Amino acid sequence: MENSLFILGVNHRTAPVSVRERLAFAEAEVAPALQRLKQSSGIGEAALLSTCNRVEVIGVTSDPERAEEEVTRFLARDREVERGAFADALYHFNGRDAVRHLFRVGASLDSMVVGEPQILGQLKLAYAQAAEAATVGLVLHRAFHKAFQVAKRVRKATLIGHGSVSISSVAVSLAGQIFDTLSNKTAMLMGAGKMAELTARHLKALGIESLLITSRTFDRAVALARELGGTAVPFENYKPYLRIADILIGSVSVAKPILTHHDVEAIIRERKYKPMFLIDLGVPRNFDERLNEIENIYLYDIDDLDAVAQKSLGDREREAEKAEEIVVEEIDAFLKWLAELEIVPTIKDIRVSMEKLRDLELTRHRAWLKTLEPAERERIEMLTRGLVNKLLHRVMAGLRHHDRSSPEAINTAEIARLLLCETNGETPAPMDLDDLEEDLIEDSNDDGDPL
Amino acid sequence: MVTLFLPPALICYALSSAGFIADRAMGRIRWTGSAAVALAIGAVFHALDLVARGIQAGNFPVANFAESLSFLAWLIALVALVMIVRLRMAIIGAVIGPIVTVASLVALMTMQTTRLVLPESLRSVWLPIHVTLACLGYSMFVLATAVSFVYLVYESKLKAKRVMRAANSDVPSLEKLDRINYRLLVWGFLMLSLAIVSGAIWADATWGHFWNWEPVESWSLVIWILYAALLESRLTVGWRGRRAATLTIVVFTVLVGSVVGVILASPGKHGGTFG
Repeated sequence: MENSLFILGVNHRTAPVSVRERLAFAEAEVAPALQRLKQSSGIGEAALLSTCNRVEVIGVTSDPERAEEEVTRFLARDREVERGAFADALYHFNGRDAVRHLFRVGASLDSMVVGEPQILGQLKLAYAQAAEAATVGLVLHRAFHKAFQVAKRVRKATLIGHGSVSISSVAVSLAGQIFDTLSNKTAMLMGAGKMAELTARHLKALGIESLLITSRTFDRAVALARELGGTAVPFENYKPYLRIADILIGSVSVAKPILTHHDVEAIIRERKYKPMFLIDLGVPRNFDERLNEIENIYLYDIDDLDAVAQKSLGDREREAEKAEEIVVEEIDAFLKWLAELEIVPTIKDIRVSMEKLRDLELTRHRAWLKTLEPAERERIEMLTRGLVNKLLHRVMAGLRHHDRSSPEAINTAEIARLLLCETNGETPAPMDLDDLEEDLIEDSNDDGDPL
Repeated sequence: MVTLFLPPALICYALSSAGFIADRAMGRIRWTGSAAVALAIGAVFHALDLVARGIQAGNFPVANFAESLSFLAWLIALVALVMIVRLRMAIIGAVIGPIVTVASLVALMTMQTTRLVLPESLRSVWLPIHVTLACLGYSMFVLATAVSFVYLVYESKLKAKRVMRAANSDVPSLEKLDRINYRLLVWGFLMLSLAIVSGAIWADATWGHFWNWEPVESWSLVIWILYAALLESRLTVGWRGRRAATLTIVVFTVLVGSVVGVILASPGKHGGTFG
C-alpha cells in the first residue's frame, strides 16, 4: 500500500467568490466536518484549509481517484451545494504536485497578493484543527511541518513579504519614512472617504497620538471620530487646525484644490519647518501638486501611492521566482522521507519477530539458565541479543542498498518479511507512531527536524 | 615607529566598509552584522596600536599629524559603532567605513619610523585632555556630516517619489536622521568649546597667555562661531531638515579647508598636530 498526499479544492483563481463562499467552512465547523469526512469516506488523514481565497481538503490516500470522488461528494453533501456548481472550479493535485501545492500555499506563492503573511497563520490553524479532530497522521503531520519550514525559509531567504502593496499601507509606510514615531503626531482627515478611513485606521493601529476629522457633513465626521477615537472639527473652521497636523489626508470632492501654495507656506513657517506629510486621496485632487516643492512638505497623490504599490508587487514577483526554487528543493526532501516510510514498517516487523524468537529460546532453557552464575546468565543474554542485532543489521543494510522508492526495494522488503517473520497469522505488535518517527529520524540522514 | 597593530586594523576597516556598502548596493541585510563586528575588531586593534605607541613614546600618541589622524580615525570608528549598535543606523557604516579606512591608511603611510617624543614644554596633563576633547568634537562633526549626507539623499528620494528598494525599508526616518544630526552637533559643539577652554588654560600654564592668535586658535574660533550659528538657527527660526543638513555639510567643508590650510601653511605652536 503506497500512501500519497492529495489536495482537492478551489481558490481565487479557479472559482469566483460566489462559489468560494458557499464552500467555505466557519472556524468552528472545521473539526466536526473533518470527522464526518473521515467516517464517510474512509480517508484516514485529512485537513481542511478554508480562507476567503481558498477552500482545500488536504489528505493522504492510496487511491487518488477514489479520494477525489469521495471528497467531491463530501463537499457537495456537507456544504449543500450541487456538484455542478463547483466541479469545474476544482483542482486536484496528487503526489509530488500536491506537495508542491501545499508548500507554495504556505510560502504565500499561491496567494492573491503574493507574499502576504496571513496565509501561514491560516495554514497553521488548519493543521491545529485537524490535529484536534484527530485526522492527522504521520504523513500529514510531517507534510504540514515541512510546509511551515519551507515558508520560514522562503521568508528568510527572499524579500517576498517586503514592500507595501495597497494604497493605504503605502501611505502608512511612507509616513514611517518621514516620521520616526507616530506616538507624538497628529493626523487630520479632510473628508471621510473609504480609503481615508482605512488609512486613518492604519495610523491609529500604529499608535498615532491624535486624529482630527473634518467633513462637509459634520455628522459623518462626528460618527467617524467616535468610531476611531478622534476629534471632529467643523468644515467651516478647519484651517486653524492645519498647523498642528503632521499628516494631512485629503479625500474631499472638490472642483479645484482646497489648499494653495500660499496657505501651506504660511503653515510650514508657523510650524518652524516641522515636516508635513500630505496624502491626497481625492479625485479630483485636493492639494495643489506644487505643494511638494515647499521645503519639508511631502505630497503624495493617489497615483504616486499606486505607483509605489505596483513597484512593490513587481519586486515581490521577482522574489517569488527564487522562492519557487526553494520549494522544489524541499519537495524532493519530503518525497524521499515519504518513500522511506514504506520500508520502515517491514523493518519494524522483522525486529519484533526476531526479538520474540529470542525470548522463546531463552524461556525454553530457563531451567538450565537458573543453575548458572548471574554473570554467566548475563553473558548468555548479551550473546543472544548481539546475534539478533547482527542479523537485523544485515537485513536493514540489504534493504537500504536499494533506492527506497523503487519497486525492487518494496519487493525485497516483502520477501524479507515473508522469510523472517512468523507466519502463523499473528499480527505484529501495533506500531507506536512516535517510536517510528524517532527511528526514522535516526535512520535517515536528511535534516530530520524535530516534530 | 611602526606597530604591528595598525595594518590588521586597516584590513578590518576595509572589510567592514565592503560589507556595509555591499548590503546597501544589493538592497539586502546580509553582511551588516559581520561588518559591524569587523569594525569593532578593527577598533580594538587600533586601540592596541595607540596604546603601544603611547608606551613606546612615553606620552599621549599625538605627536604629529599622522598620529593625530590615526587617533581621530579611531574615535570616529568608536562613535560610528555606538550609532550602528545603539541607534540601529547601519546605513552610517557605509559612509563612515570608507572614511575611517582612508584616514587610517593615510595615517599609516605618513607615519614616521623614528621614535617620536614630544618636547618637554608640551608634556602636560592637559595634552590628553585637550587633544581628546578636540578630536571627539571633530569626530562628532564628521558623523553629523555623514548623517546629513544620508538625510539629503533620502529626502530627495522621498520628494522625487523614487521610493527605496524593498530591503531598504530598514532605513532610518528623516525625523530620526535630523534628530541625530542635531544631537551630534550639540555634543560636537560642547566638546569643541571645552577643547578651546582647556587649550587656553594649558597655554596660560605653559606660555603665560590664554590666547596667542595663532592659526589653529583663530580658525577654531571661526569654526566654533559657525557651529554656534548653525545650532542657533535651528532653535530660533527652526531651520531643520534639508536646510540644517546642507548647512552642516557647508560648515564641515570650511572646517576641513581650515585644517588643510593650517597644515600647509605654518602650523604655529600646535606643531604638526591640528588639535
